[in-house]
Parts: sequence; C-alpha cells; structure tokens
Amino acid sequence: MPTTATQPTQEEECQTLRTFITTSLEHGTVDLPLLPQVANQVLQLSDDPNADVTKLSALIQQDQALAGKILHVANSPAYLPRSPIVSLQQAVAWLGMNMLAGLAFSVSVQSGIFTIKGYEREVRLLWGHALATGLFGKEIARRLRHNVENAFLCGLLHTIGKPVLLHLLLTSPLHKLHSLSWQALEPLIQEFHISAGTKLAENWKLPSPVQEAIRLYPDHTYREATSPTKGTVITCLADHLASYTLGRNPLEEETLRALPVIQDLNFYPDDIDALLDLGEGIQKSVEAFLV
Amino acid sequence: MTAISPYDLIVIGSGPAGQKAAIQAAKSGKRVALIEQNREVGGACVYQGTIPSKTLRESALQMVQFLQATDVFEFRMRDDVKIANLMTRLDKVVRAHGAFMTEQIARNGIERLHGRAQFVSDRAIQVQGLDGTTRTIEGNYIVIATGSRPRVPDHMPIDHEHILDSDSILSLVYLPKSLTVFGGGVIACEYASIFALLGVQVTMIDTADRPLKFLDQELTEQFCHAFEQTGGNYRGQLKIQSAQWDGYSKTMTRLENGEVLESEKILVALGRVANIEQLNIQAAGLEATPRGLIAVNAHCQTTVPHIYAVGDVIGPPSLASCSMEQGRRATCHALGLESGDAPEHIPMGIYTIPEMSSVGLTEQDAVEKFGGALVGRARFHEIARGQISGTTNGLLKMVADAQGKKLLGVHIVGEGATELIHIGQMGLLHNIAIDRFVDNIFNFPTLAEAYRVAALDIAKQRKK
Repeated sequence: MPTTATQPTQEEECQTLRTFITTSLEHGTVDLPLLPQVANQVLQLSDDPNADVTKLSALIQQDQALAGKILHVANSPAYLPRSPIVSLQQAVAWLGMNMLAGLAFSVSVQSGIFTIKGYEREVRLLWGHALATGLFGKEIARRLRHNVENAFLCGLLHTIGKPVLLHLLLTSPLHKLHSLSWQALEPLIQEFHISAGTKLAENWKLPSPVQEAIRLYPDHTYREATSPTKGTVITCLADHLASYTLGRNPLEEETLRALPVIQDLNFYPDDIDALLDLGEGIQKSVEAFLV
Repeated sequence: MTAISPYDLIVIGSGPAGQKAAIQAAKSGKRVALIEQNREVGGACVYQGTIPSKTLRESALQMVQFLQATDVFEFRMRDDVKIANLMTRLDKVVRAHGAFMTEQIARNGIERLHGRAQFVSDRAIQVQGLDGTTRTIEGNYIVIATGSRPRVPDHMPIDHEHILDSDSILSLVYLPKSLTVFGGGVIACEYASIFALLGVQVTMIDTADRPLKFLDQELTEQFCHAFEQTGGNYRGQLKIQSAQWDGYSKTMTRLENGEVLESEKILVALGRVANIEQLNIQAAGLEATPRGLIAVNAHCQTTVPHIYAVGDVIGPPSLASCSMEQGRRATCHALGLESGDAPEHIPMGIYTIPEMSSVGLTEQDAVEKFGGALVGRARFHEIARGQISGTTNGLLKMVADAQGKKLLGVHIVGEGATELIHIGQMGLLHNIAIDRFVDNIFNFPTLAEAYRVAALDIAKQRKK
C-alpha cells in the first residue's frame, strides 16, 4: 500500500465515501449478495431430488437476501402471480416447490457470493440481527393477534440497506478502502442504510408494507407509517428487542421498557416480560442459522 | 398509589355495552369513570368484531359487483387492488368509528382511564397503567363490560400465521388459495361466505348437520346453496381431531373419521370466551359460572347488588345491539332512572352472504307453542325490485298463528335482510294483523313488497 505525504485522513476518506454512497444511490443500481453458506445450501438442496422441501422453505424464510430476491422474482411477469406476492409463505404456496427450488438456484448462481475477508464477523452480525428482528416481529404480532407473516418479513428485511452498503463500499474502486476499519465503516452504514434499503426495496418492488418498514422503522419515524399491517411499528420494537437480545448496542432494560413504541403498541409490563423470555430461543435460532 | 376518588359509576370496558352504560350515567349528571385497557375506545366490536367484519363484507360485495359490471361498462380492475384495498378501507372505517366514539365519550364528560382493571373489593378497583404504575378508584356502582375474545380450544395450535382466529384473519395481506373454517356459528359463516365470494376455496367443518342451527331451516338451506354456488363447501357431522401446519406450505386437518383435509390456512371460529380472568372478581364477591360467564338477573345485576355486568361477559345473545341496550338499562336500574319497557322481539342480524335476519318465532317454535302455524313466503325473484337490483337470491318468510291472523315471526335471507327485518319487528311490537300487510301500500318497486306477497300467501292458505 503506497504512502505519500498527501494521504487523506480517515475523516477525509469518510467524506469521500459519503459522496460515493450518495452518488451511487442517486444514479447507480444497488444489489445485494448472498451469504456463501446460504448459497451453498440452496445449491445443494436444489440439486438433490430427495431434499427435504421444508429445509429449502426454511432457508428462504430465514435469509434476508434470498427472501428479498425471491419476492422480487416471484412478482415478475415471468411467474404471473394472480395477485401480488406479499409473503414468503404465499410465495412458497403459489410457486410450488419445484419452481421455488429452480428460482432459488438461479438467484444463488446469479448473485455474488458475500465473501469479504476481514468482515465475516460483521456480516454475520448484520444477518443475525435481521433474522432476530424478524423472529421478534412474529412474536409481537402474535401477541397483537395480528398478521405474523408480514411482521416477520418486515423485520427480516428492515435493515437490508446495511449489507447493500457494505457490499457497495467494499467493492468500490476507491483506493485504500480496506484500510478503513469497521469502526469507520459502521457510522456510514448506519447513516445511509435506510436510503440504500429504500432504494433497493423500490428497485425490487418489494411489498409496500415492507418498503414502509424499511423506510420508517426507527423510533423517530415509525408513527408516520400508514399501512394497516402495523409492520413498521412492530419492526421498531422488534429491532430494539433483537439488539437487546443479541447484545449489540443494546439499551438498558429500563430504557427499553420505557420506549414510546411499547406504549404505542399498548404493551403492558407482562407483555414485555413475555417477549424478553423468548429472547433465548430466538438467539439460539439465529446462532443455528449462522453456523 | 394516589388518593381514592369516589365515582358515581365505574364502567370497565368501552365496547358497545360499556360505552352506553357510561353515557347514560353521564347524561344523568353523574361522575363516571370508564376504564379501557386498550389505547382506543370501542372494544372488540370496533377493532376485531362487528365493524371490521361488516366492512370487509361490504367491500367484498362492492368489489364483486364491480367485477360483475365489467362486461357492461367495459372496464377492467387491476389485479393488484384486491385484498390490500379491502384492508385499507377497513382500517379507515375502523379509525373513523373509533374517533367518533372517543369524541362522544369526551363530549359527555366521562373520565377515561387507560389501564387494566382489577377488583380490590366490591367497590374498589385497581387500575394498572402501561408503565406498570397503579391507582385505586372507588365507585358506588360498577358495570363490568369487558367483552369477549375468540376461544382457543386446547388442541388447536393457533399461531396467527397459518392457523388463524377471527381476530388475526382480519389482518391477512393476501387471499389464500384455500381456507378451512372450523365451526358453524355466526362468525364462521360470515367469514366463510366472505372469503368464498372473494374466490377462496372455503370448506366449513362442524359437528352440526347444518350451520346456524338456531335459525329457520329454510334460511340456512338457502345460505348453504348460495355458499356452494360461490365454491364453498359445508361439511357437517364431523369432529376435528387435530390441526397443524406441515412446516412448509399447507395446513392439515385430521378428522376423527381418519380423513385429512389440506388447505393453505385455517380459521378457528369455535366460539368466544368472556374476558374476566384478569378482573379478580372474587375480590368483589363474585364467581364465574361454569361456562366462564358472569350471572345476572333481568336488570343485568350480579349477585352483588351494586355491581352489574353487560354485553358478552353475560353470554348470549352477544349481539352489539343488545349489549348497548343492556348497558343503558343497567345504568338506569342502578341510578333509579326510568328505563322504559323491556325490549321484546329483538331482531338477529347475521352478515353472511347473503344476509340473514330473524325476529319472533320460527315455524317450529310456533307449532310447538300454539299447536300450529301458517307460513307465507315471498321469494325475491318474484319481487320487481329483486329483479332490478339483481337481488334474486332471497326469501322472506312470515309465520302466523294457525288461523293466519296474527303475526308471530319473520325470517329473511337475502341482501338487505338486516334492514328489511325491522318492518316485521314493528309489526310484532304493535300486534299488526297479517291483513294489514295486504291492505296497505308499500313503495313500488321495493323489497319491502315481499311482506305483502308473503301476507297474501298466508291469506290464500287461510281461505282454504
């Protein structure tokens, strides 16, 4: 790596990257690669005539990127849905297993494989958080006796902009990129992930409740959501519960319990107790998936 | 804990029954507290029951009418407007109704307390807020109006994802290809007919040989016929052994006869249970009945004289219309106000497709009670308005005494039944003779003309 007297500071590099991200989101197309282990499993299952169909179905329903891509392709004119495919269960039921396996296969082959040396842990954490949010979303919806499928999908895809950005940054032609630490990249990802996710969701024509959740899930915007599915408000709380459970930038329990979103969902202390009690099981599900 | 505040009346629950109880007291100048555990007032009626299901029904009917009109008016509906639009309209109607009720409560000066209520004694109630803090209030009179929720049978793994109840089915974001409905009651029939009309392959499973057994058999036969015409299938005299999701793409219903039914989703509509567990009614000196209800007398008064119970917590008829009247009358009785004559001939409206409505005695009831009956029928396809509006699938049935003189009951199936029934109700309330329906003039063309046709049918039999 060359070093010169004019080498930019980390702050200048961040500014350059910020400009690069903004320009890419405004003019370029954004894409999202799969995790290598997910792609491998899909390929194996697709190739095996005796494969357990439930495994492929479960795989699709647990991976952020694959879920998004399946929804995108399933809604394309090529598959002629009689009405928009807005849920993974609906996609599985509508497309049938053979078509779904073929679709997953082509998606896996066409997608880049997400192998970024030096960032494996961070990528896994991003995926883990998304899955945990989806699983908490399901449980919140169950307590509300509300649509569980939509809550899961919104949670699974709410931070889809993060891997998009990471991929964008780490494959960019900018020099000296790899000298940037995760500590330097993370604020950028945090800053732009909603814009990137919104752009991807629009490009892929993801279901409108999912687009809304991606755009508005944070604490300061979830009240702007208008979809009757409640996916955004559910995702807001699910995101906090996932962070708390996985120990990633968690709030103190007392702060968590005082969040306005809990009041807006009309959850009493015993409702939150019940949700927190599910944390261990959700953590195990996430670990099992990422191994 | 804050200081105890005395209220003239405390109402627990803001559904139709609780709301009317509170408003009646407030209008009488009393100090009223209304405790509601949800953020919004209105109860299940507004958010999970009457209003949403009827709105969904109306939207489905309008959509199908539009689709039927496409040949005439040469337009085409977008494929992607279906369920999302139905649900958005549902949300708007529910919000509007909730806002109206909130405003009505505020206008009457009723103090709203947001929290969960629990009896501390027969006059004191502890209210727990969302943040866990509590306050205790006291009232001279207390009205329990906490409503009901869908029953979850022990062997039914309702996950609100693949196996739904009547609450979670309202938040579907797409139409499943197939739906198995457990139950043959009002809620089961309403949703089964709505989803069948929307093109979902619906199968109803129940132990009874026909749905809605409490209704006149001719009505339910006509309902079943219409249901089958939209692709629905009622399968009676069957017992469900288990239900489960296959973990992949479909649900499996195992019947006791060994048969296995597959469908994309299941709706469990096997009754409702009263919301009384969290109330700690024992502290007030009350006990639940073996069916989990609160026992009351004709004035909706419990065994503790200053505590009343109204609406779904006291059991059938569990109609919003009756609950409202129970709430009003309970308050009147408690406060010593004149409440008027006790309601007679309460109509029952069932919002299936087609609608069904009933008031007074059925043919079978009349025979049992009076030893005989004459029945007059008017089929909607014989009525000009039925032909004009395309409402030909309907029947109005008038039940008279054995001499064909006295009106005893009216039973209607067909669109508009729940409105049309009120003519019969007024006839019963004022003891109007069958001949009055023949001698008088109805607007033409209207479906109300069916009353005259049915009355003539009775008169014709009488002459024999």
